[in-house]
Amino acid sequence: MASHRINASVGVDRQHTAYLADLAARLHGPRRRREAILTELRDGLHHATEDRLADGLPPEQAATAAIAQFGTPQAVADAFAGELAAAYARRTIAWYIATGPFVGIWWLLLLHPSPWRTGLIAFVAAIPVIPLIAVAIATAGATLATTGRLMRWLPETGPHRALTAATAIAVLCLTGDLTMITVLGLSGTPLRSLAVIATAASLTRIACSITTIRHAARVVSSMRSR
Amino acid sequence: MLPMRPELLKGHLDALLLAVLEPGPQHGYAVIEALRSGSNGTLDLPTGTVYPALHRLERAGLIASDWQTVGGRRRRAYHLTSAGHAALGDQRAIWDQFSTAMTTVLTRRTWPATA
Repeated sequence: MASHRINASVGVDRQHTAYLADLAARLHGPRRRREAILTELRDGLHHATEDRLADGLPPEQAATAAIAQFGTPQAVADAFAGELAAAYARRTIAWYIATGPFVGIWWLLLLHPSPWRTGLIAFVAAIPVIPLIAVAIATAGATLATTGRLMRWLPETGPHRALTAATAIAVLCLTGDLTMITVLGLSGTPLRSLAVIATAASLTRIACSITTIRHAARVVSSMRSR
Repeated sequence: MLPMRPELLKGHLDALLLAVLEPGPQHGYAVIEALRSGSNGTLDLPTGTVYPALHRLERAGLIASDWQTVGGRRRRAYHLTSAGHAALGDQRAIWDQFSTAMTTVLTRRTWPATA
């Protein structure tokens, strides 16, 4: 009797694991989010199976019925696609906000205007990407606000638009970094350690921005194909 | 009983989920079961609809979740935040107004003839 129960339990676990593995292959987004979804659904499947067992179904049929209640892996993946896309967009935008100052500070120290030239125009002349940074910051702030807690009061930004915003911020940063490296190259500034650090920081972010743009495009195309 | 079309719930799912969580914390599957049993089987929502909706409500700060370990399995339990309680109150007031208006219009009666 005990061995039957163990075998039945193994069979049920195998059905749950196969279903969740199929679902895992169809989920696209931040790894931790995907893992949390799968852990939560495994618990839900267990409860649904227990309910069917309590109704008198044999274990394997109970597991099959529970899985049918949850829907096909593709249907569940489609249902989570928006949330995962929003999570990816928010995480990407938060990354740009957190790392932006670590790139910008070196360019500011390197190319800041002379002390006797003050004002916004002098700053923009010295660091021409300031308008791009302003647009990126405004886009980032608005997207984070309207995909997070402030969406209770502000119009909600949907996952597709949030991804578009994250991509736009990546493109702005990419453009800004390329512009700053070009400005440095054309200025004839001697290659001091500050210039090397600023260029290295921008090159690192360029690589990250290209990865972000490619990944976001893949997520958008997968959402469109659903 | 007439079948409930899922699109009829569009716009009301948030309020339903908040109402189910009002008495106390529940995990995702318990929320689905509470909706089903609380509506005598009328609100039999696809599982794939409810879990993402709970995640969206958490993103909006209307509910929060805690992970617990029960019987060796990790379980996520959701509960209302204070903002969620306030939002549920607002949603109830909106629904009262909406349902009163709908009932008034849909109730069979003789309409006055227009000249």
